[in-house]
Parts: sequence; structure tokens; C-alpha cells
Amino acid sequence: MRELRTSLWSVSFFALGYLLPGTLRFPTLTYDPVARTVGFTAQVSGVAMRYYGDLLWACAAGLCAAVVVWNSRRSPRPVGVLAGAALSLVALDVAFYFSRLLAGV
Amino acid sequence: MTVLFEGSARVLLLVHAVLGFTAVFATTHHAVSAFLATIGRPVQRQLQRFGWMASASIVAQALFGLLLYPAYRVRVRFADLERNAPAVVQLFDFKEHLSALALALVVGASFAGRALPADAPAAESRALAALSGCGAALVWAAALIGLYVTARHPVGTP
Repeated sequence: MRELRTSLWSVSFFALGYLLPGTLRFPTLTYDPVARTVGFTAQVSGVAMRYYGDLLWACAAGLCAAVVVWNSRRSPRPVGVLAGAALSLVALDVAFYFSRLLAGV
Repeated sequence: MTVLFEGSARVLLLVHAVLGFTAVFATTHHAVSAFLATIGRPVQRQLQRFGWMASASIVAQALFGLLLYPAYRVRVRFADLERNAPAVVQLFDFKEHLSALALALVVGASFAGRALPADAPAAESRALAALSGCGAALVWAAALIGLYVTARHPVGTP
């Protein structure tokens, strides 16, 4: 089923695209709600936030993966392997952010 | 100093909460339908119906949450929680990450569920059920954490 495979690839790349820019401090879109300024930087300070940018990275990664897989003519991977990979990456993200929660409390 | 959408923060929060409840119930129904599909029950119409509801409500909820975020950041997080309840700040950050991952899982499960045929192979039904079930679980967790943080200090109040 093409839709399911596309969704699983897309979720995998979304999970990667969400985790990596924040942890590796990639430059991203930032917004300062006090100064009301938008920037593109790896360093955020004060009340500035990079959540919008990190979410954009993840959406872009997920959408690119979906477009590539939807138009791909390669033989499809077994759906069980794809589901395992996608959910493992999501679990990795959850475990990473949960560890940060525990470290910060 | 004014923050973007600060004046309408309470209305935005109410809409965000209503959409959140809609997302919780729609994703739960979608997950239950997906699990029923794994045991051969004919649930194609439910998967299509709840798929649209779940993806529309979670996308709309996320957009309202993003609109609220600057007011939360300045008026709740920096003005109150960072000094008085730093653990709640960490909890809210965790909720943000769960919400983002839930968004991808729910939209992906909805997209895949609408095309699941009645005679789908067991592996495909199980993969869809896992995708949808994990999405619903994350939506539940994010909703409960969101309610807890809002009970502590709702955005739009001094």
C-alpha cells in the first residue's frame, strides 16, 4: 500500500528532522516575542525561541521524504521493517526529550 | 511591551483546548478502528471519517498553539514559571515535543488509513494500528500535560 509506506517514511524523516536540528544546533528560524524580530541563527538567548524553526525543519524533512517515496519506482521495503524503523525513531525522540525532562527536574 | 496575540490569548486558549479535546477523541476513535481492522472487522468508513477529523483537528490545534506560544513564553514562562515552578517549564517543553511527534503520527496514520483496503494484508493493518495507536497515546499525554500546566497558570491571566 503506497499511502502507508509513504506515511512511514515521512514519519521517520519527521522524527529525524525534529531531533537533529535542536540537538546539533543547526541554524534555524528564531522568533523573539519581546523585540518582535525574526532571525535565522543557531544561538538563541533570552526569550527568543527556536521551536517554530525546529518544527519547520521537521515538516520539511517529512514532506520531502513523502514526495520522494510517493514518486519512487524502486521496489518497496517490507512494511513491518518500515513501521519498526519509524516507531523506533519516534521512540528515540521521546526517550531523548524525556531524559532532558528528568535531567532538568 | 506587547506580545503578539496577547490581547486575544484567552480566546485562543479556549479554542486550542476545544480542538485539543476533539483531537483526543478523534485520534482515539481512529486508533480503535485501526486495531479493529487488524482482526478483520470492516472499518474502512470509520477510518476515513475519523482520519479526516483527527488530522484536521490536530493541525488546527497545533496552529492555535503556535499562535499562543509567544504570549505563553513571555507572560507565563518567563514571568512566573521559571522562578516559581521550573519543573513545570520542563514539563511543558516535553509536551511541545510530544505534540510535534503526535502531529506527524496522526497525519500519517490518517493518510494511510483512508486508503486501507478491506482485504489488506495483516502486516499493513498492524502497521497502521501501531502508527495510529502511538499517535493517539502521544496526543493523550500532551493533552494531560497541557491541562496540568494550564491549571497552574493559564495564558491570558496575570
